[in-house]
Amino acid sequence: MNEVASLLQLHDLDLLLSEVSDSGSRAQFKKLGLEIQDLNALERTRSRIVSAIDRRWLNHYERALRRYGRAVAIVRHRVCQGCFIKLPTSASPSGDEPITVCESCGRLLYWR
Amino acid sequence: MTISVGLSVLDSSLYIPELRPKRRESALHEMVARAHQLGAVRDAELLCETLSIRERIGSTAIGKGVAIPHARSLAVVEPRLVVARSRRGIDWGAADGCSVHVVLLALSPAELPNDAHHEFIARAVAVARLQRNRQKLIEADGFDAVASVLKEVTP
Repeated sequence: MNEVASLLQLHDLDLLLSEVSDSGSRAQFKKLGLEIQDLNALERTRSRIVSAIDRRWLNHYERALRRYGRAVAIVRHRVCQGCFIKLPTSASPSGDEPITVCESCGRLLYWR
Repeated sequence: MTISVGLSVLDSSLYIPELRPKRRESALHEMVARAHQLGAVRDAELLCETLSIRERIGSTAIGKGVAIPHARSLAVVEPRLVVARSRRGIDWGAADGCSVHVVLLALSPAELPNDAHHEFIARAVAVARLQRNRQKLIEADGFDAVASVLKEVTP
């Protein structure tokens, strides 16, 4: 898994963690027949994913996560779906990697 | 954003009347690939891994031959329910030991609030818990029959 894929995976895993980390949510899932049996597996997977991400990206990610609850926003019609600012042409990704940082809100932008 | 398990999340192209794979992971791959082909999923690989991680913390089989895998992901463009059937059955690690014959894959975009995603899953579970609905889903002769079952619980 490359670094961008790891960042996106970390985002999805953190969403899942937010859904199941409190006992009330887990009780609701159990009631639906969807019992969460191994929460530690999520933490172990998270550690493994984090270890594959460069510290520079991780700092951006964790800062945005703490601030907004979600660290990555989709770009739709050149608009950051986190802060809804119109992004300038210069904000487009320069290489093959579809990730940049929103200069307005600091979220990671997923250009896809 | 509001959501209902009704026509808004259903699409005739997202119904797979006969899943070919025998394994849970392969079945999820086939369902995600279908959603990807139709543009409901922007990154199939990411979504498959997210679903796989969810299965690792507990099977999404709810018993009596039904599984409701689910994900809220950056990979998902809009809320969608992918419906699939396996007459042969798939080992989904169900607590009751039954093979899974009906799979309702609930997909939500990352920006959907947690409560709405949970409600989406809960409605899919409500459909599948009724024996008559399970039977209709297993015996459905096409998408219209499936849609009529899922419409029954549309608020």
